Amino acid sequence: MSHVIHVPGTPRAVRTPGVIATPQVPDLPAARPAPPAVRFSAVHRRFGAVHAIDGVDLEISRGATVALLGRNGAGKSTAIALLLGLDRPDAGEVRLFGGAPQDAVRGGLVGAMLQGGTPIPRVTVREWVGFVAATYPRPMSVAEALALAGIGELAGRRVDRLSGGQAQRLRFALAVAGNPALIVLDEPTAALDVEARRGFWRSMRGYAARGNTVLFSTHYLEEADENADRILVLDRGRTVADGSGEEIRRAVGGTLVSFDLDGRGSAGLRTLPGVTALEVRDDRAVLRSGDPDATVLALAAAGRIRRLAVTPASLEEAFLNLTAHPDADADQSPSPAVTR
Amino acid sequence: MTARALPPAAPAPAAPVSAATSAVVGPPFPRPASWVRPLLSYVRLEVRRTLRDGGYAVMGVVMPVAMYLLFTNLGVGGDADFRGDYAQYSMIGMAAYGALGAALAVGSGVAEDRGRGWLRQLRVTPLHPVQVVAGRALTAGVTVLPAITAVLTAGGLVNGVRLELWQWLAAGLLLWLGTLPFTLLGLGNGYALTGQATGVVSAACMMGLSVIGGLWIPAAAFPHWLREISRWTPTARFGDLGWSVLEHHGPGLGTVSVLAGWLLVFAGYAVLAYRRGARTV
Repeated sequence: MSHVIHVPGTPRAVRTPGVIATPQVPDLPAARPAPPAVRFSAVHRRFGAVHAIDGVDLEISRGATVALLGRNGAGKSTAIALLLGLDRPDAGEVRLFGGAPQDAVRGGLVGAMLQGGTPIPRVTVREWVGFVAATYPRPMSVAEALALAGIGELAGRRVDRLSGGQAQRLRFALAVAGNPALIVLDEPTAALDVEARRGFWRSMRGYAARGNTVLFSTHYLEEADENADRILVLDRGRTVADGSGEEIRRAVGGTLVSFDLDGRGSAGLRTLPGVTALEVRDDRAVLRSGDPDATVLALAAAGRIRRLAVTPASLEEAFLNLTAHPDADADQSPSPAVTR
Repeated sequence: MTARALPPAAPAPAAPVSAATSAVVGPPFPRPASWVRPLLSYVRLEVRRTLRDGGYAVMGVVMPVAMYLLFTNLGVGGDADFRGDYAQYSMIGMAAYGALGAALAVGSGVAEDRGRGWLRQLRVTPLHPVQVVAGRALTAGVTVLPAITAVLTAGGLVNGVRLELWQWLAAGLLLWLGTLPFTLLGLGNGYALTGQATGVVSAACMMGLSVIGGLWIPAAAFPHWLREISRWTPTARFGDLGWSVLEHHGPGLGTVSVLAGWLLVFAGYAVLAYRRGARTV
């Protein structure tokens, strides 16, 4: 089993990557809960020999802010195209609010900020946002959308005369102008400087705080960690981890226990309690451990403690651990955390 | 906090049976309150964009008027009667030429928008694809008007063309309606080709069809074989919509059926191109 299924209704603290089966409430029509904002069921999408989406199951509950994290080519944009109804899966099913993506889009429930668009010439910010808002059944006012995006003072400006950062904010205003329940942002901060990025995330959180669902893709770890309450790590078209940044860090990265070998070799270290990986640098062993207490106790019992250091793994390391794996076992679970 | 009733929450009180069914076919998402309002809002946006385009003003209005005035005032021999007839004939021809250019320009706009990702962005708004295409066609319905009125006005005010009121109105109206096949041709080009290719193909269509259709030089001056071809072009029949009015009658059955035939051909082309182009949007 290589991907993680988020069990709907599971409390956040309990939902860790790798948890697969918990008893589910029977799906009785009488007690039918509102369908989730997003649901992928065994979705596959191939482009020739490339399996862009390779059996993804996921569910995003209403009101959540979720980051889709992955390297370039991990399948993020394909997942978003499928989600928005711009593309269709070869197998499996995508549902938004319990309906087909296209119907949800036509119903005005979805706003999106796509990658790679450039502003159209000869319209003002106000006209453009006003038009997009007018296509939705219950839009917000143009002034409100611009204020939310932090470009209220640019209303009269021609959209083809904006700076890169301003244009990006404008595209955010377009995504929220219709007051949709779900916004989807495909790499929204690509090509923004630090300051613009900070402002952008402020806007995003403002929209999420209204009870809306937000899904954004990024390949910046810190952005996912800081701005999402849940991170879905996508790698080669599969979800390889699912949880908060803290959960992923803990479960995948573990803790690093390092000490000097003092010339005694590394035999037996790999099988100590809690140890999931072993690396020897110079004459120093670095153990990755899921249970550092047990590992340290075992080391002490063996009399191996020399200049011991116990440090938490960074999310960066967790991410690398999740997405870097030899081709040979592509079908195997990419990380110990997922199988455990 | 914005109060909003999500669609699946709304049908909750309904009978369990309908709830179960809706889970299969998808919940009844809110239908747009109006089909026409977003469409008009799109047309307004695109018309604004077109009117603000300097290239449009030159190609769609200034050029046809300038060519009309040049063709009818420079190097035209013959007596006053002939010159008057020619001023009338050319007025219709150049109005048609200007309208043709404005109609085909819609395609260049579509191709550009495709390159900018604007058509893709439109697909993630509640607008239906039919509304998007119809909006573009209606945009052309507006942007061809300045060309037609400008040339007819130049004819009346500068070249002293005298027609009865109904003739002015009928000529303008028929030319306006007659642009529809060319709008569809332009849309087809816009969806089938890249931005640059659309410009080239549209310019070729405009020049070729204008000349062979006799919009610049009367087909009567053509050699026989070219005249035979000319009769079957959409532009000759387009011009004939106006020329027939000069002769105090409506367009003949031949003209209407040839135009209708081209309308079908170009509509088919536009639909095929859209289906193909939409995938790469």
